[in-house]
Amino acid sequence: MGQLFGTNGIRGVVNQDMNAKFCLEISSAIGTYFRKKFSSPKIAIGTDARLSNSMLRSAVAAGLLATGCKVVDIGIVPSPVVQYTVKKKDFSAGIIITASHNPPEFNGIKVIAEDGTELSKEIEDKIELIYFNKEISLVDWQEVGTYNQYNDAIDFYRQNILSTIDVELIKRKKFHIVLDCGGGAGCTVTPKLLKDLGCEVTCLFCRLDGTFSGRNSEPLIKNLSELLKKVPEVNADFGVAQDGDADRAIFVDENGKYLLGDKTLALAAKYFTKRNKGGIIVTPITSSSCVNDVVIKYGGTVIQTAVGSPIVARTMIDNNALFGGEENGGLIFPDFQYCRDSMMSILKIMEIMAIEDKTLSELISEIPHYDMFKIKVACPNDIKKTVLKQMEENIEIGKPTRIDKTDGLKLYFREGWVLVRPSGTEPIFRIYSESDDPKQAENLAFEFKEKIEEIISKNRN
Amino acid sequence: MSNTISPHIFRAYDIRGLYNKDIFPETFYYIGASAGTYLKQDLGGKHLTVGCDIRKSSPTLVHSFIAGVTSTGVDVLFTGTTSFGQTLFKGWKKNQDLISFVTASHLPPEWNGIKFYYGDGVGLPEEELMKIRDYTLKNSQTLSNWQEIGTVTQTESNKDYSQFFKDRCSFKNKLRVAIDCGGASMTLSAPEVFANVGLEVIPVFCEPDPLFSKRPSDPKPQNLDVLIKKVKENNCDFGVAFDGDGDRSVIVDNSGKILSADQTGIIIGKLGNLNKGTVIVNVECSKAVKEQLEPLGYRIKQIPVGHTFLTLEAKKENSPLGIESSGHLIIPNYFLFDDAIVVPLKIAEILDNTKLSLSEIVKEIPIYPTRKEEIPCPDEIKFDVIDKLKRKLSEEYSDTNLMDGIRINLENGWVLIRCSNTSPVIRLTTEADSEKIVDEIITDFKEKTEEIIKQVK
Repeated sequence: MGQLFGTNGIRGVVNQDMNAKFCLEISSAIGTYFRKKFSSPKIAIGTDARLSNSMLRSAVAAGLLATGCKVVDIGIVPSPVVQYTVKKKDFSAGIIITASHNPPEFNGIKVIAEDGTELSKEIEDKIELIYFNKEISLVDWQEVGTYNQYNDAIDFYRQNILSTIDVELIKRKKFHIVLDCGGGAGCTVTPKLLKDLGCEVTCLFCRLDGTFSGRNSEPLIKNLSELLKKVPEVNADFGVAQDGDADRAIFVDENGKYLLGDKTLALAAKYFTKRNKGGIIVTPITSSSCVNDVVIKYGGTVIQTAVGSPIVARTMIDNNALFGGEENGGLIFPDFQYCRDSMMSILKIMEIMAIEDKTLSELISEIPHYDMFKIKVACPNDIKKTVLKQMEENIEIGKPTRIDKTDGLKLYFREGWVLVRPSGTEPIFRIYSESDDPKQAENLAFEFKEKIEEIISKNRN
Repeated sequence: MSNTISPHIFRAYDIRGLYNKDIFPETFYYIGASAGTYLKQDLGGKHLTVGCDIRKSSPTLVHSFIAGVTSTGVDVLFTGTTSFGQTLFKGWKKNQDLISFVTASHLPPEWNGIKFYYGDGVGLPEEELMKIRDYTLKNSQTLSNWQEIGTVTQTESNKDYSQFFKDRCSFKNKLRVAIDCGGASMTLSAPEVFANVGLEVIPVFCEPDPLFSKRPSDPKPQNLDVLIKKVKENNCDFGVAFDGDGDRSVIVDNSGKILSADQTGIIIGKLGNLNKGTVIVNVECSKAVKEQLEPLGYRIKQIPVGHTFLTLEAKKENSPLGIESSGHLIIPNYFLFDDAIVVPLKIAEILDNTKLSLSEIVKEIPIYPTRKEEIPCPDEIKFDVIDKLKRKLSEEYSDTNLMDGIRINLENGWVLIRCSNTSPVIRLTTEADSEKIVDEIITDFKEKTEEIIKQVK
């Protein structure tokens, strides 16, 4: 399984593998599944700003209607807005048409469960079975679903998100923010939301633009040169960039310094643990140890999961976690909803800044610093399992203090840690290493790169 | 999902089939991609309007269609669920290249389909529809690249449409009209438009009902009992019944009598204050049309049966009126497309300006006896037979029309001999001054036809 659904829904190039006919068929498989589960399923559809959003929305709507599902079109909205709407407005499921931060020729489909979280792998597999086994079940004319629009998803989301934070406190600070929506779905909500909080907003790429002509949709440092320049230029308190579907936020401090996602993740984790005097924080094993450091310091526990935001969310629910998130800027705030939400991230960082009464760079300087190193190693998909097993059997290298096999192989040493994990989407292994000494981090990474390359070439024949 | 598309869903004037047997959402995706390809390659355009009627299967079909259209790089204006006239009006007002409407008109609710018009309101002729058919059956659509995928704009269709009629109709008297929408798509437009222009509406089946449970969507005489009763009970000035999508109307006068399309057309021609130009009628129309309208200065032009010819010819001839015997009427002073709402509005306007009741006006129009007969004739030779008949009879008789089969105008009557498109029969239709003459004509031409059939066999 997992032929269609990757780690982030189904993705492809528009009018090639991600075409209207395919969407019609896969949405019928999705509808078939939900029609079996619910007697009268009602499914919301939201899209990001990509150029093919109308075409794919129509195809998905048609496929769902044909299997007897009611469809509600909620328009161009950030992914977290779809998820919030599904959870709070009694939907059986939701579909987000987005390819997040991929280049503009891509688009994709993500399925959301009735509680607003991303669909589990188990159910995605069931849907794929329906699709591949041609078990799609179209209903007769009397039972074809109805199509409606709901135009208030954004307002409903905005009203509710404001009720989770101290609005007056933030208003008093009169923050000046440089907001870079990257032309993505964040444009529809974020500028207004920030203005509701009394912020002065300098906008970059805040008009919907499915060609991403302003900047690449992924908020990597190399794509944010304008933002990095603008923040100090206008004396803003901070800057923030959203990805294409606005579930991830990357911050820039008042000096124009790009802040790695780990840092803002740790900042929020510290805040929640400290305020609660303990509690559970959830994050994937790829996150920096700085998160563990701050959480443990304030009496909390960290649960490390395999990579994938649905896994983080589910683990948070199962463990009644305080907070969770990934190192890529995707933060999850259980008080609001169990999914990554860049708007909530921005509001929460502002709230922390307001409560602590410190600049963002000051707050970040209080987080322990580690250097991370990342490398990719090519490896054919069919031998990944064998290679990993053999890596595990050869662990004497450097005698690790701890071993974690949650997702790939993570080894802790005195000087830091290294993680070797097979990519879910590409024919590669990813090696991550971290240390408070950048040279050590690099050495660790290359050491394990060598080792795994050996094993890979042994197994190629 | 079906994999092959049945060619027989492509009819001469539209596409239609049973939902989930002949037509599937996937089918409409392909048709949409074909319509988009046709629009771009054959028309050099980029804009298509589409709406759908209230049938239950319409939502999935219209959205599949839209997905197909946008995949070719054509932008779509989506009017939602409307009457036929509301969607055509929007597409016409917005200068679109192609206007489409998802409907199966007067067929039972388990059917659905789609029909196409140009942006000026003219129906797509058969040979153009066949181009869309060919792209579909050959799967030869051209999809665009990702940068040029079409966009979808949703638009409402009520306000401008209602206002259009409000601007054109004003009444001195409060006329009372019974409106029978049959629970179908006209429920979405007619009651509001009529009330807006100042008519008193007696509603009959004006609640949307996609099951057509109150009456069949075809306003045949046997389906109009309730309307007739309501007209009489409420002393209405007249009543009107619409078909499933709203491109055909049937008028009932104040005495409860059902008018034919020809009678309705004649009344509009006589009293509707139209420009005296060329009136388009089809080869089945009553001779009363010519007799009543020519003296008033109109020219009568006969065209083949089929409502797509109506709009095309009316445009060519700059006609003030077009009458199709099945009940499509057009009054181009409003617009070219066959939105049935214009007919009762015009009748109301006429009654507003005369002291006569509709039944009194109708009495002045002669009705001649008619007869229809079918002669069995194998499909393989029926067209041949008609050809031979055309040649033979056009030599023998001077006043003939060969556009659609052969119509021969005689001194006190006429006969029309044509093939059925769908069944192995040849149809004879006759109208004459008296039953006796009808008998004579039918017998005579039946013999002539059977003679030729024997010859060809």
